[in-house]
Amino acid sequence: MLLELEAVSKIFGASCGACLDLTGEPGAICPDCGSVVAVNRVNLKVAEGEVLGVVGESGSGKSTLLQLIYQDQPVTAGRIFFNGITNQEGKRQDILTLPATHKARLRNRDMSMIYQNPHRGLNFNFSAGGNIAEKILDTNERSYDTIRSRALHFFTKIEMPPTRLDDYPDAFSGGQQQRIQIAKALSSSPRLLLLDEPTTGLDVSVQARILDLIKALQREMGFAMVVVSHDLGVINHLTDLTLVMKSGCLVEYGLTDQILEDPQHPYTQLLVSSKL
Amino acid sequence: MIRPSEVLFGFLDEDAKKEIRRALLKAVALPGYIVPFASREMPIARGWGTGGLQVSLSIITEKDTLKVIDQGCDGSVNAVNIRDFISSVTGVPETEDTTKASIIQTRHRVPEHQLTEGQIIVYQVPYPEVLDSVEPDTARQKEMHANNDYAKLWVLLYEDTSQFGDSRMASGYPVAVNDHYVMDPSPIPKFDIAKLNNSQALHLFGAGREKRIYAIPPYTKVAPLTFNDRPFQVEQFPGKACERCGCRDVFLDEVHLDDGVHYFCSDTFHCDTVLNTRGEGHAA
Repeated sequence: MLLELEAVSKIFGASCGACLDLTGEPGAICPDCGSVVAVNRVNLKVAEGEVLGVVGESGSGKSTLLQLIYQDQPVTAGRIFFNGITNQEGKRQDILTLPATHKARLRNRDMSMIYQNPHRGLNFNFSAGGNIAEKILDTNERSYDTIRSRALHFFTKIEMPPTRLDDYPDAFSGGQQQRIQIAKALSSSPRLLLLDEPTTGLDVSVQARILDLIKALQREMGFAMVVVSHDLGVINHLTDLTLVMKSGCLVEYGLTDQILEDPQHPYTQLLVSSKL
Repeated sequence: MIRPSEVLFGFLDEDAKKEIRRALLKAVALPGYIVPFASREMPIARGWGTGGLQVSLSIITEKDTLKVIDQGCDGSVNAVNIRDFISSVTGVPETEDTTKASIIQTRHRVPEHQLTEGQIIVYQVPYPEVLDSVEPDTARQKEMHANNDYAKLWVLLYEDTSQFGDSRMASGYPVAVNDHYVMDPSPIPKFDIAKLNNSQALHLFGAGREKRIYAIPPYTKVAPLTFNDRPFQVEQFPGKACERCGCRDVFLDEVHLDDGVHYFCSDTFHCDTVLNTRGEGHAA
């Protein structure tokens, strides 16, 4: 397995200690102490090259789950394992217990995140090329020519003209900015790509192009993906497996086709039947 | 019983000196690491060398000999005033001779003469935090320093290289100290960066307005951030030489006068030394 989550939880607020048991399907707010349980003991496995979708209504903890994997937020409880991360005895090690520098290395080299809002994923003070270069520099590459040619390689991969490499992100349209984020994310050749609502807010034709692009690049490079979306169309188009979240809990998990065609959990049934 | 004259040696009170010395010790123990200190009010305005002044005043002893330069020049108004002030509150002898000074306070230059063991050079620093240009959040800056995460500085370098062929940073070029902390060497020209590496002298940096101190101990590795395949380039003065002493291998000042552009040594003591050894005396 590339990525394994064991009983990973995230509580916002001072926990009373019983929050995890008191919350769940009825709601994510603890009736006792008022803390918000965004992610409640989620177990999850992602294999190399696998594409997993995460669906659920807004506030169900999808994005938080992604941020916990990417170490954007500290995990309250639970363990996360990443293939290849072992301790001195060669046993697999919980990445949450790694020293900060090792955590950063894992985040910089083995994972990438594509945010819904390009302002989060891109630095608007750097050019498009500079943004891609930042991710390559994170892997400790220190040859200018290598960095430049790799930036150009991924820039052309996202169907952008090479002449625009040195333009700044605000000179690009929203869809183009999203594609630059993709180039940046892939430039370190990650093993796991995390996508947080990658196409929400883009018009349908642009959405389709970006989804096709992500799919083609995934097939070519073979990285695993976790795609968070509330759009079942996106999930259907991209993913092999899907998990459904509600109030921080994992309520259903299975093959995407199965979940969309034959949902078992009442909430999933509601979700699928509400599809426009 | 402390006599008033002892209290006043070095202008600062003993508590202030002690605090600054503690910060200095920490800075020397962690080469390139920025240590905060409680910058005192000085009789000159902040931003005019109060950081360097406080560092000098807290390390100076009766046995020291003081040299102060501003842009390499012993005779500029700021250098003269700071030198006179330190001398008047300590009684320490002044000198222009780089080789005889035990403490050299400087702004924007490292002297041309190689500094030797036992010498201390004190820099006046306007902006101590090298990451300010790329990361406004000070908490994040500290994390980045701790994690040795300087990718954003490298991106600046990448951007300049892609757009202009080389870095545009003319002064205060970022340097990695002892293979860890990246620091701002104060606005010295790139020409002087090499003098920091494995230097025999102790380098102390004081930023009065920003209330920060950092240091490079003697014999410490100091390397400018440069790509493997893009050699570090310092200022060049092709075909130009100092009009007074004729030196070519030094940092030159470009002086614009009514009759055109002239070039002179930036380090006035070095210029005088060259003239003196040739027997031409102390020219004007």
